[in-house]
Amino acid sequence: MERRTNSPYPRLDRPVLAVIGLVLVLSTVLFTVGDRQHEWRYYQYAFRNTVSEKFGPDKAKTVASGLQQVWVPSLGRADRCMTCHQAVKWAGFESAEEPFRTHPKEILRSHPIEKYGCTSCHGGQGWAVDLDPAHGPVEHWEDPVLGASLGEAYGLVDNKSAMMQMNCNVCHRYDRETKGADFINLGKVLVRDKGCRACHTINSRGGTIGPDLTFVGDKAAEQYDFSRLNGQKTAFAWHVAHLKEPKGLVPDTVMPNFHLSTKEAQALATLIMSWRRSPVPAAFVPGVPHSDPRTPEEVVVEERMKTGPGAWFVSTGCFVCHSIKVFGITSPAQIGPDLSNAVEDVQARFGRTIDDFLASPTGTMSVVLSRQIILTPEQKQVAIGKLREAFAEYQKQKAAGTLKPAASH
Amino acid sequence: MRALKLPSLPPDQEPGAPGVHPRPLWSLRPKSDRQAGDAVVSNFMLHWFPAKVSRASLDWNYSFWLGTVSAALLLLLVVSGGPLLFLYVPSVERAYSSIKDIEFAVTFGSWIRSVHRFGAHLMVAAVFLHMARVFLTGAYKNGIGQGQRREFNWVLGVFMLLATLLLSFTGYLLPWDQLAFWAVTVGTNIASSIPLVGPQVRELLLGGRAIDQPTLIRFYVMHVIVLPGALGALFVYHMWRVRKDGGLARADRAGRLPAPVAAAPVATKTYTLLGVARGTSPAVTTNRLVDEEATVNAVPDLTRRAAIVVLGTFAVLSAMAVLMRSPLEEPANALVTPNPAKAPWYFLWLQEIVTDTTVHIGSFTINGAFIGGVVLPGLIVGLLTVWPWLDRSPREAAGAWFPQTRRAQNITFLILTLAILILTLVGTFCRGPYWHFYWPWETWPDIPTRL
Repeated sequence: MERRTNSPYPRLDRPVLAVIGLVLVLSTVLFTVGDRQHEWRYYQYAFRNTVSEKFGPDKAKTVASGLQQVWVPSLGRADRCMTCHQAVKWAGFESAEEPFRTHPKEILRSHPIEKYGCTSCHGGQGWAVDLDPAHGPVEHWEDPVLGASLGEAYGLVDNKSAMMQMNCNVCHRYDRETKGADFINLGKVLVRDKGCRACHTINSRGGTIGPDLTFVGDKAAEQYDFSRLNGQKTAFAWHVAHLKEPKGLVPDTVMPNFHLSTKEAQALATLIMSWRRSPVPAAFVPGVPHSDPRTPEEVVVEERMKTGPGAWFVSTGCFVCHSIKVFGITSPAQIGPDLSNAVEDVQARFGRTIDDFLASPTGTMSVVLSRQIILTPEQKQVAIGKLREAFAEYQKQKAAGTLKPAASH
Repeated sequence: MRALKLPSLPPDQEPGAPGVHPRPLWSLRPKSDRQAGDAVVSNFMLHWFPAKVSRASLDWNYSFWLGTVSAALLLLLVVSGGPLLFLYVPSVERAYSSIKDIEFAVTFGSWIRSVHRFGAHLMVAAVFLHMARVFLTGAYKNGIGQGQRREFNWVLGVFMLLATLLLSFTGYLLPWDQLAFWAVTVGTNIASSIPLVGPQVRELLLGGRAIDQPTLIRFYVMHVIVLPGALGALFVYHMWRVRKDGGLARADRAGRLPAPVAAAPVATKTYTLLGVARGTSPAVTTNRLVDEEATVNAVPDLTRRAAIVVLGTFAVLSAMAVLMRSPLEEPANALVTPNPAKAPWYFLWLQEIVTDTTVHIGSFTINGAFIGGVVLPGLIVGLLTVWPWLDRSPREAAGAWFPQTRRAQNITFLILTLAILILTLVGTFCRGPYWHFYWPWETWPDIPTRL
């Protein structure tokens, strides 16, 4: 066999390859450990211990482990807050330190977590599972948790947690007053009292001297002029400063100084920042009409049908098939004959009195009165009485010549 | 049916028919030249390598193994792209949140994405450096072997560089964040400066007049099917040509040097083993190539070094992906332009040229996008493609760093590279809001935020 080459390489290359292999193993360990190291693992461990101390080890076994998520498809939110905030739905942690505090019960009754998630009210980054990215403010996430620490940073007067009401008002923007949202309510009072709508359009109502404020909360921070603002360069800070002294930020503005107190300016800024074009389904927004609008004439007609002399026929359901023109009742289907002259019409059609016919109906009416509209003998007497009233009215109108042509079949 | 009775072979006996390999794997310790040759012929990996290689072509300081690094990165990108295919949703509503899920909720998700992202950046750099090495060593030139077509492989390489850039650029849009949206806005706006057909070209790229769902799905399909397919095919072709052209140009050069001890004329077969195709030219009879001291076996000397480079690349990238987080900015918003809006770093030199060649005369503006975005890159790519035919240096200049005969073109190339590098650095580190110039030690004005 041919002599194999005397390569000079193995002496150095072998150890180098060994070192590379070692580095590979190390980097694998590094990324495996790195991927597992999250604060939430510690918090889950701590919460389980707390529950164990407080309620015993059996109860501690029911504490969820691993990533927890509330997925709200209608709001497009996947909130993983409860991975750490595990006590949210537990009773007995009402006065505990965060992240292990029970959520106030009252508000959850009207705003269940399953329907609203967490971040739609609290702000923050629901996707994130680490402390800083989840709460913010962090770079590249403009929606931090609207909690006390943010209110602290802005020096909010009275209630440091009032910033959160900004998110309440995303849905409650058409409320005149929202329960529990004092800050926003104060802002809304100011909007009315100071007459903001004299110059500004808000929710499609108001003047055109100032800019339309309906969706001003969406205006990007980059679009404000911060050159005359000292301190925090944020849209919220800009609004507070601008409301207190408009000319201080925009020298050539015509907006008057309303001499607002700091609290008033902050409340108004919170309200203004809440006016966002948020993709919230209509069902979430109180005040948005959930029915199709009717013309005033339609409203009058419907009201007359419900409360007029023929109201009995409407509430019983006769009007579905029968009009009673003399009482101003028009059937939507108009399948049966007009009942205005039923007294003579029944006689003509069946050769029986109305009393007799209702007592033992034939044809379609026998089916309807035995299955759909079941009347007691007393109710039948009422019906006969009403029909006679209608006939009396019919004869009166006929005599006067004001009878409209009946749409009978 | 009666089982077919195969004659059993004694363990060390060679198979009867050529090409038949009785063992499931190749042998790392061939017992004969025949076995060594068969191992090469019957194994795909070893198709890339000849049985023996010149020692010189294994040197770290000749090739810096940049082609191998690029291939290793390509492999990692394909492998890391696999899981991302399952996790990423190419829709404007879901793309951003699916990346957030990968970042925060998927096991190893953040690492996989970082491997993919940093791997892509590194690959652009590695492929460019590989091209620079090949240029500077004149390795696209043919040497002593007959039938060499190295200039053709160079052209393939230029196309592979373009495919790499396009892959990176199309991948840039997919996270659907502000960084992606505006980088692609800058990139595709350049296309609209092409005379006459510019707006139509842009519309073709975007699938409309604005970056939206049609753009995302176009870029996605390009990124996961068309371009990887093209690059894969080019890669296979490239490697095949490397073998057919006789390996690295440095081996040709070694073949030119006289042997220290006069030897008998060389048999053609030896050349085949050395990977120089189609025999020798009659002039070459005795040289370093067949010198025992000048050659090594591909297995294990070459394969071990290849393993060092490939695994080393893996290790470096893996560590990078642990130590650094891939950027993900705010969700894409067509109404808010980040200030400054920058193209991906490898196109920043073009964006810099675009701004520098945009001339304002009073209210009249000459847009530099045509020069910086179309003419210049077109010229550079065109020149690169035809350069092997313009290069009139002698054959001896192939496979050596800075030979006398190629000094002028090498210096020109280096100056151009340096200019691109400087422009890239300026664009990356010295351009702040409104594309104003800031030294790296100067702080940018505060970027305002919402809350």
